[in-house]
This record gives sequence, C-alpha cells and structure tokens, in this order.
Amino acid sequence: MIKIKKGLDLPIEGAAERRISDACGVSLFAVKPTDYVGLVPRLLVAEGDKVSAGDALFCDKNDERIRFASPVNGEVKTVVRGEKRKLLAVVVQASANAPTIDETSHSRINVSDTEALRSRMLEEGLWPLLRQRPFGTVAGPDSSPKAIVVSCFDSAPLAPDYDYVMQGREGDFCTGLETLAALTEGSLFVTFRPGQQLARTVEQHVASHLKNVKVEYFDGPHPAGNVGTQIARLCPINKGDTVWTVTVQDVATIGHWVATGVYHPIRVIAVAGPQARNPHYYRTLAGASVETLVRAQILNPTYPALQAGGNNSGSVRVVSGNVLSGTCIGLDGFIGAYDSLLTLLPEGNYYDFMGWLLPGFKKHSFSRTFMSGFVPQCMVKAFTMLPDCLKPNFDTNLHGGVRPLVFTGNFERVFPFDIYPLQLLKACIIGDIELMEKLGIYEVEPEDFALCEYIDPSKTDIQPIIREALEKLRKEAI
Amino acid sequence: MFDNLRTFIDKIKPTFVKGGKFGWLQSTFEAFETFAFTPNTVTARGSHVRDAVDMKRAMITVVIALVPALLFGMWNIGYQTSLHAEAWPFELGTAASWWYCLWFGFLRMLPLIVVSYIVGLGIEFMFAQIRHHEVNEGYLVTGLIIPMIVPVTTPLWQLALAVAFAVVIGKEVFGGSGMNFLNPALVARAFLFFSYPTHMSGDSVWIAADLWGTDAIAGATPMGQLAAGLSPSASALDMFIGTIPGSTCETSVIAILLGAIVLLVSGIGSWRVMLSVVLGGGLMGLLFNAIGANAYMQLPFYYHFLMGGFAFGAVFMATDPVTSAQTNTGKWIYGFLIGAFAVLLRVLNPAYPEGMMLSILLMNCFAPLIDHLVVGRNIKMRECRAVRKEVQQ
Repeated sequence: MIKIKKGLDLPIEGAAERRISDACGVSLFAVKPTDYVGLVPRLLVAEGDKVSAGDALFCDKNDERIRFASPVNGEVKTVVRGEKRKLLAVVVQASANAPTIDETSHSRINVSDTEALRSRMLEEGLWPLLRQRPFGTVAGPDSSPKAIVVSCFDSAPLAPDYDYVMQGREGDFCTGLETLAALTEGSLFVTFRPGQQLARTVEQHVASHLKNVKVEYFDGPHPAGNVGTQIARLCPINKGDTVWTVTVQDVATIGHWVATGVYHPIRVIAVAGPQARNPHYYRTLAGASVETLVRAQILNPTYPALQAGGNNSGSVRVVSGNVLSGTCIGLDGFIGAYDSLLTLLPEGNYYDFMGWLLPGFKKHSFSRTFMSGFVPQCMVKAFTMLPDCLKPNFDTNLHGGVRPLVFTGNFERVFPFDIYPLQLLKACIIGDIELMEKLGIYEVEPEDFALCEYIDPSKTDIQPIIREALEKLRKEAI
Repeated sequence: MFDNLRTFIDKIKPTFVKGGKFGWLQSTFEAFETFAFTPNTVTARGSHVRDAVDMKRAMITVVIALVPALLFGMWNIGYQTSLHAEAWPFELGTAASWWYCLWFGFLRMLPLIVVSYIVGLGIEFMFAQIRHHEVNEGYLVTGLIIPMIVPVTTPLWQLALAVAFAVVIGKEVFGGSGMNFLNPALVARAFLFFSYPTHMSGDSVWIAADLWGTDAIAGATPMGQLAAGLSPSASALDMFIGTIPGSTCETSVIAILLGAIVLLVSGIGSWRVMLSVVLGGGLMGLLFNAIGANAYMQLPFYYHFLMGGFAFGAVFMATDPVTSAQTNTGKWIYGFLIGAFAVLLRVLNPAYPEGMMLSILLMNCFAPLIDHLVVGRNIKMRECRAVRKEVQQ
C-alpha cells in the first residue's frame, strides 16, 4: 500500500447518500467538444438528423479516425455554437424508446486482435474514453502507452463512492479491464483505497489470470485518488512517455460494449454539495442534461436570481465535477464527459465586513490564521456532528484580492509530487518551455495543482496557468 | 451600521473608477474599500472554492505576532529612562510606575510608527496608483518592523529618509512586494547604519533622555561592551527578559518567542528557517567556544541568542518568505548560514557589533543561488530517471 501524506480534505457539507434514483425526466444529452483538451472538432451531423447510440456526431479535425458518439438514439436537436462559430455542444433529443440490446445481431467482440479492437473502438466512438498524459488529451490512436491507470476511488471533496456506483456492473467492469489490458504492452494499474469491495472482485476475476494487471492500494488525504498522484508513484512520466487513464464508469462502458457490441454509456452521477436538498445518486447516460436533476435539488427552484446559461450571476453554481477542478456548466448545462459528480455550490458574491480581522469560526483555511483552525481535526472529520457555529462555510467567494506570489513553502504541503510546485508554476508563468520540462511539467495536469490553488493566499488562478503552459508545449510538439 | 457603510461606499464608488471624477485615486479607494470589506469577487477560473486566508489576513497575523515585542519594547523604553531619575518626567517609585513606563514608551514610539507608516504607505499608494495596481499589504508588516529595530532616539527625519529609501530602492524598483530580493525593513536599518553611524551605534543612542527630543543617556548594550573588549554587564536572565538597553523592541527574547509561537502555530512563519538560524548560530558559537582565543570567543554560545537582534532577526526577518530561500531544503541552508554568519561577524569583526542585520542581507542575496542549486538537484534526478529508462530499453 502506498501512503500519501501530503494533501488536504475539505470538510464540505452535502455528500451524496447511498441511494439511487433513475433520472427519468432527462431527455436531452450532449457531447461537448470543450470537454476534450485541445480538440478541434469537425461536425458530422446537422440539426434534425436522426442518430442512434454510437453514431458519430463530430470527429477530431486533426485525426478524423477519432469520432465522438451520441450516447442515445434520437434526433439532433441543436448544434450550439459560441464566439467565432466555435462548436460548443451537439445536443441530442432522446427518442422515447430506450436503446435495445439485440443480443443476436451482435456478438462478443474479440479482444485478442488488438489492431481490430483499436479500429473498432475508433469507429464506434469509444476511443475518446481513453485519455493520455501528458497534456490530458484524447489518447493518440497510434500511441502505445507505457501504462494505463484506472483510479477506482475519488478522494476529492464530495466525491462519489465508486463501490456503490459500480454495484451491478462489476462484470462489465472486469471485461473492460481485460480489454484495456489488451491495449497496452505495459502494465494496467488499477488503484483502490484499502478495503474496497471492488478491489476484491478485480483481484479474483482479472488480476488472477492477467499478468499485466496490477492492483495497487493508496491511502491518505486528497489528492490520493487523483490519477496524477498515482502515476507519479507507479510509473513517473518522462519526456516522450505516454500513460493512458480511463475513468471507472468508462471502463464499464467499454466492458459492456465488448460484451454486447452496443455503446450504452450508463453514468451514475452523484448530485451533492451544500446547496443540494437531498443529495444522492442518479442513474442516467453520459452527457445528460442536468436541469431536471438540479431543479429537484435546489431549495427554492423559482428563486429569481437562478439563471440559466452557464454564467455566474445566479445564487447557485452548478459544477460538473468536484469543487476543486470541476467546470461551471450552469443550470441548463450537461454533465462533463469524464465526470461522475455534480456539485451545487452557493455563489459567494457578498461583502464581508472586516473579513480579514474577525476571528472566523466558520471560515475554512489550511493555515491556522482563523479560529476555525483550532477546532480539533477529529471533530472536523465528522463535520456533520459539528455545531452550526463551527461548520465551515464553502462558497465561491475568492476571499481576498489577487496579489503577487509572496508566501512560500505552503504548496509543498499539499502537493505529493517530487516536483517543486512554486518553481514549476513560475516557469509556466514566464513560459520558459525548457525550464518547465526540466521541472516536470509532463507529470502534472491542472487538477494536480487544484489544492495549491485552493490554499494560495495570493489568489492566483493556478490551474488555467498550468493548462495554458501544457497547451503551449503540446502545440510546440506537433 | 455596516449596511450604511456599504451603501455609502457603493454610492461613492463610481466617482473613483476609471473615468470617474477621482479616477486617478482608484487604487487608494480600493485599498480603503477592501480594508473595510473583503470584496465580493467570486472565483472565475480554476478552483471554485478558495481558502479563507488572503494577503491581508496573513499580514495581520504577522502584525499580531509583533505585538508582544512591541508592547514590551514600549515598556522597556520607559523603564530604561526611569532608571535615570534626572530624566524621568514622572514620580519615581509610585505604584503606577509600571504604567508610566509603558505610557512613556508609547509616547516615544508613536511618532516613529506614525512616520514610518505615513511615509511608507504614502509611497506605496503612489506607486500602486501609477501602476494601476491594488495596494499590497506587505508594508503593514515592514512599516511596523522598521521603528521596532532602530534606536529610540533616531531622529524622525532620518527614519523618514530610511523608509523612503527602503520602499523605493528596496522594493518598488523591483516591482513591489513579492518581487524584491532584500528585506525592506533591513534595507532601512542598513541605510541608517551606514548613513548616520553616530545615531545608530555607540553607547549614547539607546536610552531616551526626555519625552520628545533626540537626546540620549549613555547606556551600554551587551553587544557594544563585547565589541569594546569588555564583558557584558547584564546577566543572561536580564537579556532573556529584555530589561537592557537596545533597539526599541528587539531586546526581549520572551516577547519575541511569543511572536514566534503565533507565527509557527498559524503556519505563516517557516519553522525551518527559525530552527536552522538557531542551529547555525549555536554551532558557530560552540566552535568559537572551542577555539576560545579571546573573551568574546569564550562567551557561552547561548548568549548570542539573547543579545542584540539575533532572536528578532531569526523570528521576524529571516523568515520573510519573499527574500528567504523558497525551497524547503534551501530554507535549511539559508537559515543555517544566517545564524553562522551572524555570530561570525559579531565575534570577528568589532567594527560591526551587530552581525544579524548584515548576515540576513547577505543571505538574502544568496537565497536565489541556494534555490537554484536545490532545484538543480531535482532536475538532475528527473534526467537520471529518464536516462535509466532508456538504458533499460
């Protein structure tokens, strides 16, 4: 077992209960090119076209073999475009009849023929489920990864419990792992927290007969569950290496496809957060519209300030993903391609009188500069027991003004890499490619810096800086 | 009341934004507005929630850490003067004399602090305004530290000059707080030390002779006595408590330790730097004890922690995150060398009785080099790993 010591767990209220309901009201599904790093899409459908699950909606202009498939049978409702006609989303209205799995016409896909497997995955729109590091793009169809990493637990605030999410899909999950194992000549690392049920299943059914599948255990605070942290310990990325990562639910999607030949991306989403009235899990499909899910959760759905359109002016922020590295999608948004969590956060657009001087019992801080820092950790961990006057408030307020980077030595305490975070960040800011490479830019993704960004007293937006630096490097490499 | 204040601020705000009547005062207005209210800005990119700590909170924590030393220093100013009956304006030996000492010290200290803040913040506001930046909070700390590390009899015009020099040359020319490489407070002190040596060293600067003037009473500091080849007249306990002549607020090790606790518990000050300064100074002191060639070398090593500005420098100056080494390993080396050089300068160079200031300034200059070497090791490790992998293939 690998113990991660550096990190931070945020005690945010509103974790999802272990209860699942079918999201029946959802009929709109979208595939968003913006979910994929650096993707330049080429649209393949027009509004009004009939599509079935697995049909490509658009493809990658730089490599047209990579196709992005509709998750449902239905009709293309809208093609959403932004500034300069940038393609933002292709929205599909699901037809009333659910996709049927015709067991007779499809046979189990042969996994042993790797070339055929790759081309079928590309053809049928499953390829984008594979992501690669460095750069966080969709995996290159010709690349051979030195390893594939599947993290089967999420340590982020309010993260879904994948043991629960995957209940009933263990078979598909194991099939998916076998498929992935066939795609690499290196190792397939499957990582768990100690004591996870899913781990036992994988050990018995996959790792026992496939030599290159390795089950690893990680323990410790967030970001122990981030693939970046795990890759750094298991198979650090050198210049020129690629490592693929796949999310847990996508592994099951691949497994289901291999078993039945049908692309049916079931997605169980945890709806959670301080603004969620009854946080729990919903079963739906990838790219689902979140509007019906969110409306059911917000205390006052008719609240006047609640606005659709992905802007920040509402009273609730709808985040696809976790609060540290998720994307703001707005009330009328769609769940992100790789996300299994929807977080509802209160907006923090208020003034705080003498905020820098008051004791701050309800303000969460990694430093002990507020009284909240003196509440014993054991009490904070069981924060549902905390009295209201001590419960930390989490909202989107920046809590201060943007300043130059002054404090040092903090980032290292939440950054479990053998990398100097401040120095790498500064190299990214000045855009020194050579220095970035030397300091280990290939080993990180923006999400790995999320906690640094959280604790930073100078309020620098670190994740966008890392993303821009990575994009700069990627474009240099092409 | 807060609502009324907020309404008032919102009402006058338009005149202070760009294009408004007082648009040229925008940074100044913002400084006062954010002083009263933490702004309502929400996160736009990156992490959606943020830690409650910001630069204001961090800086005010350092100010709180300075308060014990400041209060003790004020009291000690009065106490030192009260030892000389002819200069003491109050009745001697009354029950209230403890308060008199504090009151006397407060009155002596106040002009120094006021001048430091007015001159320093004035320049900061000016630069922020010209650059259209927000005013940085760094000077809240620097502006308090400067009067705390000068003799109480420093003429105000000299202090004003030193502050101006420190803020402009020590900080703003490099781009303001976070960009400077020398500790601004020490730049101010070094400016005074080299420009007006008679006002900054010798025996007759440390004790105020009256309530307002710059006249002083002769009263030797332990460091001055040692530099002159004498042994210190104050006991180790006196030095630890701080009832000795010296710079206004740096004499009491106890009060400084209280501040150190605040810095360490809050996580604002680096324990690595503090500990390694003490280690470096202690080891150097022990080394001199082992040599023992003269009286100064024979001085028990722990005296170095108690005398002069060693403790204050270790806790409040060496730990300045901007000018210290930025890597954790670098902090160990940086702190260790500060302690070692401070003792080395004290013992071997009687021309500079106080080695701490020069030692910290010297290591400020070397901090980037230390970091460069430390980071270089990490780079080498990464290269080796890549090469190892190629060899394996």
